[in-house]
Amino acid sequence: MRIAIADDSALFRSGLVLLLEASGAQVTAQASSGAELIARIFPGTARADAVILDLRMPPTFTGEGISTAAEIRARDPGIGILVLSTFAEASYASRLMDAVGHGVGYLLKDNVTDAGHLLSQLERIVAGETVLDPTVVRRLLQRKRSAGTIDTLNPRERAVLARMAEGRSNVGIAQDLHLSPRTVEAHVTSVFGKLGLEQTDTDNNRIRAVLAFLRSARARG
Amino acid sequence: MEGDIGTVALRRDRRQEDLAVPAGPDGLRQPPGEGSRPRPLRFYLLAGAILAALGCLDTLAELPLWRQTPALATVNLIMSLAFILTGLLLRTEPGQRGVAWALILAGVFRSLDFIDAWNAGPLPVYAVVFGGIDRVFGAYAVLRYLRPALGRLQRIYVLVLAGWMVVSRSLVVVTTTATATGYPASSWWPTITVNERLSDLLATIENIGDGVLAIVLVVLLVRRLLETRGLDRIVIAPVIAAGLAAVAAASVTAVAQVFANISEGPTGAFVAESVVDVLLPVAFLGAVIQRGLLARNLAGLSARVAGGADLRGVRHALRETLHDPTLEVLPGTATPRPRADSRLVEVIRTDAGTPIAVVTADAALARYRGLFDAAVRTSGLALRNAQLQAEAARAELDSVRASRARIVTAALAERRRLERDLHDGAQQHLLGLAARLTVAMSRTSDPEATAAFAEARAGLGEVLAELRDLAHGIHPATLVQGGLAAALEEVAERLPLAIHLDVAPDRAPATVEAAAYFAACEALTNAVKHARASQVSVVVRVTATHVEMEIADDGAGGADPAGNGLANIADRIGAVDGEAVIDSPPDDGTRLLVRIPCG
Repeated sequence: MRIAIADDSALFRSGLVLLLEASGAQVTAQASSGAELIARIFPGTARADAVILDLRMPPTFTGEGISTAAEIRARDPGIGILVLSTFAEASYASRLMDAVGHGVGYLLKDNVTDAGHLLSQLERIVAGETVLDPTVVRRLLQRKRSAGTIDTLNPRERAVLARMAEGRSNVGIAQDLHLSPRTVEAHVTSVFGKLGLEQTDTDNNRIRAVLAFLRSARARG
Repeated sequence: MEGDIGTVALRRDRRQEDLAVPAGPDGLRQPPGEGSRPRPLRFYLLAGAILAALGCLDTLAELPLWRQTPALATVNLIMSLAFILTGLLLRTEPGQRGVAWALILAGVFRSLDFIDAWNAGPLPVYAVVFGGIDRVFGAYAVLRYLRPALGRLQRIYVLVLAGWMVVSRSLVVVTTTATATGYPASSWWPTITVNERLSDLLATIENIGDGVLAIVLVVLLVRRLLETRGLDRIVIAPVIAAGLAAVAAASVTAVAQVFANISEGPTGAFVAESVVDVLLPVAFLGAVIQRGLLARNLAGLSARVAGGADLRGVRHALRETLHDPTLEVLPGTATPRPRADSRLVEVIRTDAGTPIAVVTADAALARYRGLFDAAVRTSGLALRNAQLQAEAARAELDSVRASRARIVTAALAERRRLERDLHDGAQQHLLGLAARLTVAMSRTSDPEATAAFAEARAGLGEVLAELRDLAHGIHPATLVQGGLAAALEEVAERLPLAIHLDVAPDRAPATVEAAAYFAACEALTNAVKHARASQVSVVVRVTATHVEMEIADDGAGGADPAGNGLANIADRIGAVDGEAVIDSPPDDGTRLLVRIPCG
């Protein structure tokens, strides 16, 4: 897999490059800002299947990762986008999903410790799935809400939705929760139903369910 | 005094400027005031000469009396001279020249009252007919005092009194003889008919008429006292009192005369009456001195307003000093309320001419213009001082505010810098190390080395988590990026209770957002830790001028406003010039209202 990286911390970047290359990925471009990375990959000299973006980069050190992601997605609908951050707040992930839509992931840098796992997450993203960091998901689930669609889910359905958000497949979820794939499928259908999603387009529904999950964090009340 | 007033410029109209010039060479042109200005030497020489001349006239007029009843003669002389001296002194009182002349004439006629002691020619007849004419002038003086002219009623009274005095006594005289009246037969007497019964009747009518006129005078005097107000009343009261005493004394003498029924008349009663009558000029003199002494009120005024005073304080002090309960002190910008009567108006201004206050007072105070002006100047000084003090305090407050705002801004910038340094420096560094550690771990198959790597990586993870919390606590990155709405959502994510958030997405200045954010964190922590609330609502409204935040929980309530958490909130909000109000009744939840100005 060809990967392009934008991160203003040279030390973290080089660590990440080492990690990716050690697990067999090919890092085609490195940059210390979003603009620099876009300039590198889009003339076509350094093609990439996925980009890894730091959330906070120069010049303003605020949300450059998200705006860069939106621009890259606009130029190349097929490229996978992973934003890395040290912030476990759902609001960033939510804004990222809103800006990019599909084939996107939000992971905490702290959790990027397993090269094999990171690469498999990237593969899901490139395949168009949505990946959310388990820490972010956990915090969303911990949060008590006074009212909302998500509250209509029972604990089992919530657990399934959380794993869907993390990018797990039905088989993976079945293994995690010690359930049969068939039961997981039933839960997924039930979650879609409760969130008001059509039963037909399963892949997109998974993304929408995750988005609904994230939005529930932002919904006021 | 003028120099001290440098800071206060009083507006004076042209008329006053003209009147403020020193007394002219004739010594009589005095500025309106309390009559306390020094009189030229000429005045005293002239007065002395007049007194000596009239003294001689009086002595000559009552020469035989000195032999008969020296006490009465002495008292009468003193009395006459007292009237004349008072008249001379009053001549310089503005608008009181009529009173002065009346007193002088009363003195002159008084000195002639006992001219009948010569027992020769027409002198006894003169004494009987014109003996009471000094009273007419006395009544005129008392009724006219402090007035520009007599009122209609008073004028009629004085004319009736004068007419009655002459006509009633003339009628008695022409119906009797010198010997019947107690004078030697050699005296000239204009007898028309001798009729004892008619004469007695006329004498009775005369006495009754005198009595009625005395009562009317008492009524007029009491009325006069009641209709005066303020400083006038203080000045006039002794004069009226002396007038009433004189009427009483004259009445007693008349009664004594009737009942004693002796032709020579009751000498003792005459002496007593004269002694009482002396009170009248003394009272006038006292009034003149009293007007002069009013200036001492200024000392009290200065003391009262010395420490600086507001408009109310000055109004109170001026009302008491000038004895004018209608006096008003209005703000410099106010236009005095138009009133039916023309009132005194004085504007107190600063050096630059900006009006500080407008003083309006009873028109009667025009007679005490000097006192009024001085009192207004003194008050003006106090007001000006108070204004300067207030300006100084305001300037100091402004500078403290500005410096506090700078400190708040600098502290916020410092926190943000720290957070960024931690995030972009140490955190990224450690993350890079963690990645390398992972790579290194994957390259070894030695179980001991793998275990050591794993342990190191776990430790690194803990350090990273701590560092992230630390950076977040110093200044949450979401606040900078997403404002209060995003930052408070993030807080809500971390808290184990249901939070209803209604936060406007609008942005406010960074210091305001930070203050509101940390106050909200404090309040939410309290709701969880102390109030054990299960629900809390956070509402934030952002307007062009203010950020308003309301945080309400359903917890135990009864929070101590002086407690650490709430004091922290008050301090944080106060540091950005905001207000924090806490309402925490026991068992009824806690409500925090915060209002911070933007900019």
